Amino acid sequence: MAKKGMSELAKEEQKLAVKLLIPTFIILLVIALYPLGQVFYTSFTNRTFAGTGTTEFIGLDNYQKLLSFSIKELPPVVDEETGKVKIDEETGKKVFQSPIQVLPRQPELYRPVYSFNFFGSKYVVGAVTPDFIRAVFNTIIFTIFSVLIETILGLGIALVVNSEFKGRGMMRAVMLVPWAVITVVSAKMWEWMFQPTRAGLFNMLLDKFGIGTGNFSFLTNLSLQMPAIIAVDVWKTTPFMALLLLAGLQLIPQELYEAAEVDGASKIRQFFTITLPLLKPSVAVALIFRTLDSLRVFDVFQVLLAQKRYSMASFNYFQLISARQMGMASAIGVIIFILIFFFALSYMKALGVDTE
Amino acid sequence: MRKYLLLVLALVLVVSFTAVGFAQEKTEITVAAGSVGKELELTQQAAQMYMEEHPDVKINVLSTPDLTNDRLGLYLQFLEAESAKVDVYQVDVIWPGDLGQHFIDLNKYGAEEVTDNHFQEIVQNNTVEGRLVAIPWFTDAGLLYYRTDLLEKYNREVPQTWTELEETAKYIMEQERAAGNPDFYGYVWQGNAYEGLTCDALEWGFSNGGGTIVSPDKEITINNEKAIEAIDMAAGWVGGISPTGVTGMAEEDARKMWEAGNALFMRNWPYAYTLGNADTSQIKGKFDVAPLPAGDSGSSAATLGGWNLSVSKYSEHPEVAADVALFMAGKKGQKMRAIEGSFNPTIKSLYQDEEVLEAVPFFGKLYEVFTNAVARPSTATAPNYNQASEIFFQGVHSVLTGESDASTAVQYMELDLKDLLGYEIGEPRQP
Amino acid sequence: MSKTQKKVLKKILFYFVLAVIVVYLLFPFYWAVNSSLKSQAQLSMTPATLIPRDPDTGEISIFTSNYFAIFKNGQFLRGLVNSSIVATSTTILSLIVGSFAAFALGKLRFKGKEPALYVILAMTMFPQVTVLSGLYAVINALNLSARFSMIFTYMLFTLPFTTWVLTSFFRDLPKEIMQSAQVDGATPFQTFHMILLPLTAPALVTTGLLAFIQAWNEYLFALTFTSIDPSARTVPVAIQYFSGEFARQEPFGEIMAAAVVVTIPIVVLVLIFQKRIVAGLTAGAVKG
Repeated sequence: MAKKGMSELAKEEQKLAVKLLIPTFIILLVIALYPLGQVFYTSFTNRTFAGTGTTEFIGLDNYQKLLSFSIKELPPVVDEETGKVKIDEETGKKVFQSPIQVLPRQPELYRPVYSFNFFGSKYVVGAVTPDFIRAVFNTIIFTIFSVLIETILGLGIALVVNSEFKGRGMMRAVMLVPWAVITVVSAKMWEWMFQPTRAGLFNMLLDKFGIGTGNFSFLTNLSLQMPAIIAVDVWKTTPFMALLLLAGLQLIPQELYEAAEVDGASKIRQFFTITLPLLKPSVAVALIFRTLDSLRVFDVFQVLLAQKRYSMASFNYFQLISARQMGMASAIGVIIFILIFFFALSYMKALGVDTE
Repeated sequence: MRKYLLLVLALVLVVSFTAVGFAQEKTEITVAAGSVGKELELTQQAAQMYMEEHPDVKINVLSTPDLTNDRLGLYLQFLEAESAKVDVYQVDVIWPGDLGQHFIDLNKYGAEEVTDNHFQEIVQNNTVEGRLVAIPWFTDAGLLYYRTDLLEKYNREVPQTWTELEETAKYIMEQERAAGNPDFYGYVWQGNAYEGLTCDALEWGFSNGGGTIVSPDKEITINNEKAIEAIDMAAGWVGGISPTGVTGMAEEDARKMWEAGNALFMRNWPYAYTLGNADTSQIKGKFDVAPLPAGDSGSSAATLGGWNLSVSKYSEHPEVAADVALFMAGKKGQKMRAIEGSFNPTIKSLYQDEEVLEAVPFFGKLYEVFTNAVARPSTATAPNYNQASEIFFQGVHSVLTGESDASTAVQYMELDLKDLLGYEIGEPRQP
Repeated sequence: MSKTQKKVLKKILFYFVLAVIVVYLLFPFYWAVNSSLKSQAQLSMTPATLIPRDPDTGEISIFTSNYFAIFKNGQFLRGLVNSSIVATSTTILSLIVGSFAAFALGKLRFKGKEPALYVILAMTMFPQVTVLSGLYAVINALNLSARFSMIFTYMLFTLPFTTWVLTSFFRDLPKEIMQSAQVDGATPFQTFHMILLPLTAPALVTTGLLAFIQAWNEYLFALTFTSIDPSARTVPVAIQYFSGEFARQEPFGEIMAAAVVVTIPIVVLVLIFQKRIVAGLTAGAVKG
C-alpha cells in the first residue's frame, strides 16, 4: 500500500512539474524558437543581411573559414651571393622571411595572427579570418581574468557586507551602483577617464604621482588594452557577483557557525569548511551567468576598443552590420553558443552541483 | 419600416466607409532622418513646408541614431524585413553602392532635371549602375583648422604642403611647451581604427598622388610608392607632433583637444567651425579653416562626406516619397538648411547666394574644397565597401601603431582587396 | 596586545576595508557626477580637475545646464516611464514564471530535469546581435507593440536567469520542510506557495533586482524595436539619441547627467528592497 502511495505521489509530482514548467517553455518557444533556429540554419548558408541576391546552402564553409589556421616555420633568408644565412647588422639576429611569403594563399589566403620563436626557429600562426581567431583569444583571456577577479572581489565584498555593522543597509545600495549604471554610458564614462591626455582621470593622476608624461594611451597601446577593459568590466559586474553570493550566504544556517564556534574552529577554518562548500551552488550559478555574459561581451569592447580589438560578439556585430555577412555572423553565434555550453557544463561538473 | 431601417443602416455604413476612405486618403510618408537637435528641427521644418504645399500628404519625421553604425544597423533591419514603414531614408555618402538595390531610381521620378545643379562628384557617387539611388542633400569634406593667433605669434604661414605642416607644427609645439603648456600638440586628427581613418588616410594618399585605394574603373591601386610614403609620413606624426593617443581619436576627441586650446592644427569636418566659435570654446575667434595640405607630388584633397536622401522600393507611395525627397533636397530646402543650420548645400549656386553667404560667411571658402573633394571608393567596391574600408583602415592603423610597416601593410591590403573584390591590380591615376 | 586592543584594531581594519570598497565602487560614479557638472570647456581642461573649476580662473564653478537640458528633454522623461514599465513587467513576469519552473526543477522529482535546465539556459547563450533579426521577424509576425516586444524579448535573458538562480535556492532548502508539509496534508502547490516562496524571499528579491537592472540597461533590442515608435523608447535609447546641435557632436556632460539621474531610482529601489535581501529566514527558524 505504502509503495503504491509513493509511486502515486511521484506521479503527481511529475504531473505538477510539467504543469509548472509549461509557462516557461511556452514563452521561450514563442520568442526563441524561430530566432535560434534561424541562426543555426543561416550559419550553413552564405546569406547576406538585407541582401537582394539568392542564398545558397554552403554546408560548413563558414565554420571552416572562421576556424582554419595553420602554423608554418619561417625559413631564414639566405643571401644569394654568399649562400649564408643573412644576419641583421643592427641586432645581430637571423633574418627570417616575412609571413606573407610563407603562408598559403590557395585555396584561401592565410594572414598572420601571431609569430613566435622556438629553439632558434621562427614560426607563424596564420588564419583565414585572423580577426576572429584573435577575437576568440581576446574573449577567452577577458573571460578568465574578469570572471576570476570578479569572483574573488565579489566574495570579499559579500562577506564584508554580510557582517553586522552600522549602515549596512546603505552599503547594500552602494554595492549595486556600478551594476546600475547603464552599460553603454558606463563604457563612455570609462573611455573619458582613459583619455590619452591629462584631460583624462588616469593620466591626470599618474602625472600627479610623477609616472609618465600624462599621455598614456590606454586604449590604443596593445599591452594596456586588455587590462583596461578587464578593469572596466570588473568594476561594473563585481556587484552582480557580490549580490548573488550575498544571497547565497544568507541561506547558510547560522547554527552551523555556532556549532563550529563551540568546537573552537577559527574563522578561517569556518570559511573553508562551512561557507565555501555550502556556497558552491550559488557560486556555480553566478559563475555560469558571469561567464555567459563575458563570453558574449559586447558593449565595453564596442565602445572602448571598437574595431581596434574585437571580442567575439563585437566582431560578430561588425560582420553583420558592416560586412552584412549574415551566414558568417550566425556561424560565429553558434561557435559562441558551443563555447558557453562547454563552460557551463564544466562548471557544473567541477563544482559538483547536482542537477538531478 | 424594416426596409427603411435597412436602407438607413446601409446608408450609414456607406457614409462611414467613405468617411474612413477620405480620412485614409491623406498619404503618409515617413522620413528616417538624423536625430541631432538642429538637424531634426530643420527636417521637420522642411516637412512642414512640403505639407503646406501638399495638404493631402502627411510627413512623419522619424529620428534615427546619430552613431552611423547604429543607424545602418536599423536601416538594415527595415530593409531586411522589406518594411514599408519607412519611405525615405537619409543615407551616408558611402551607402548608395551597398544599399542601392533597395532604393528606386530617382531619375525616373524627375531627378534628372536637377542633377546638373549638384556637385558632380556626389551625383556620380550616388549613381549605381546608371541608377540615381540617392539625391544629394548636404555635404561634408575634410578641412584643415589652424590657430590664427599662434601662426601670427610665431610668424608662420598656413601650410600648403604636409612637410610645411610638419615643420610649423613641430616648431610651434616646442615653443608653446617651453612657454608652459605641456599638453600642447601640433596636429590632431582621426586615427582610430574606423571609417574616419579611411577618410583621413585617403586624403594623405590622394594628396600625394597615391590614388583612391580602388580606382573608379575597378582596379586595386593601393600598393604604390606614393601611398606608402603618405602612410609612413602620418606614422611619423604619432608620438611627435600628434599625441600617441591619436590612434584612438575620432572627430569628437580631436575637437575637444582643439577647443581646449591644446592643438595648433586639426583635421576635421565643417561642423567644428561653428562649435569652435561658441562661447564655451577656449579658441573662439582665434582660428580659421583652409584646404588640407598637399603632398610633394599632388594637390590638396578633401574626403567627401555628407548625406543623401533615398526612397525605399518597398514604399507604398514611391511617387509621393520621391517628390518629398526631391523637395527636401531641392534648392529651397537646402537654402533653408544652409542659412539656419549651416549645413553645406550640394547645389553649387547656393555658394554664391548672397543670403547664404551673409548667414555663413565661411561657406565661400568651402566651395573650392567641395569641388575638389574626393569620394571614397564606395561605388567602385559596392556592395563590399565597408569591408574594403575596414581592410584599408586596419592596415593603416597597424602602421600608425607601429605593429607593421607601410609596405607590408599595403601588400596585405592589396591581397585582401583582391580576395574580397576580385578586381585587377592597377596604377593610380591622378585626375 | 590586550583583547580590547585587538578588538579595536580589528574594527579599524574592518572599517578600513569597508572604506576601500566604498571608494572603489563609488569613485567612477563620482567621476560621472563630476563630469556632469562641467561644461564642455571644463571637461577638456588639462589637467582634469576633481571638482568642476573655471578654466581661466581655476575657481570652483558648477555648471548645471546639463541637468536642465535633460529635464527639458521630453524623450528622456518619457524614457524613464517606459523603462520603468518595461523593466518592472519583465521582472515580475520572469519572477512568477521562473519561480514556478524553479520549484519544479529544484524540488520535484521528475524525468528530464537536467535537459530542461540546459534547454532553458541555451535560450540565452547566443549573442544578442545574432538573434536580433530573427526576433524582429517574430515581432513583426505577431504584430506586437514596441513596449510588449521589449517585455517579451527581455525574458530571453531574464527568464533563464531567474529560473536558474531560483532553482539553486529551492534546491538548497531542506527537504524536511516539504515532507513535513506533506505530512500535514498540504498539496505540493500549497507547499510551494505557503512555505517555500516566503522562505526564498531573499533569493526572489536578489534575482528580481538583478534582472530588473539587466532589463533597465538593455540597449540593442530596445533600439531596434522602438525604432518606428519613438514614444516607446527606453532610457538607454533616449540617452543614445541625445545629441548636440550638430551631427557628430556628442553632448558628454548631458550623457553623464542622464547617467546620474537614471541611477538614482535604482538606488532608491535597492534601498527599499535591501532589507528583504537579508531578511530571509534562516534554516533554524524553519525547523523551529
